[in-house]
Amino acid sequence: MPYFRITLMRSGIGLPEKTQGVLKALGLRKRMTTVYHPVTSSVAGQIMRIKELVDVKEVGTALNKKQMREARRPAPGYYVERRGTAELEPPQ
Amino acid sequence: MFGPFRLTNPLSGGLLWKIPWRLSRHQKYRQRERLRKVDSIVATLDTALARQGESMRKLVRWKAEMPTEEEMLPKDKYTVFDRKVKRYRKAIHKLPKWTRVSQRLNPPGF
Repeated sequence: MPYFRITLMRSGIGLPEKTQGVLKALGLRKRMTTVYHPVTSSVAGQIMRIKELVDVKEVGTALNKKQMREARRPAPGYYVERRGTAELEPPQ
Repeated sequence: MFGPFRLTNPLSGGLLWKIPWRLSRHQKYRQRERLRKVDSIVATLDTALARQGESMRKLVRWKAEMPTEEEMLPKDKYTVFDRKVKRYRKAIHKLPKWTRVSQRLNPPGF
């Protein structure tokens, strides 16, 4: 199921109440927040109201908050060859 | 001395707002980029909905009526109609919130 990935790039401060209401309805509370919404005409209509403020991409799956955070995490710089606990266990 | 309420010439009374009457070429460049960004978002919405077999009246009207950045005249990109201004045109940076609103069409003939 395709989703719209919507990121608020420009703040809605000082814009009409209706525009700010659309941001609230989509769950965009402050700048650089990302939300996923299914591709429907109602969501597309909401995006049309705030098209100057957001960045929109069509993606295959929606990520939750934890997954988005993991995606941002840099590589740790090492990899685990084998665990030490396997060595310590007595042979069967 | 410092901060938002420091004593500067514009703040100490009188009419001294030094906003240039025309855009710089860098402001014009960023304005074009913003227009293109909105075009790309409309295109994204259109292709995503078309893939679902849906369409939207608002999008159909936008595509039919609104010129894209390439199709717009420089006059419409950087200036807007204003009935109070001599020759009926003012630079777009005089428009309140001009970097966050779409202003593409102007009255025909002006």
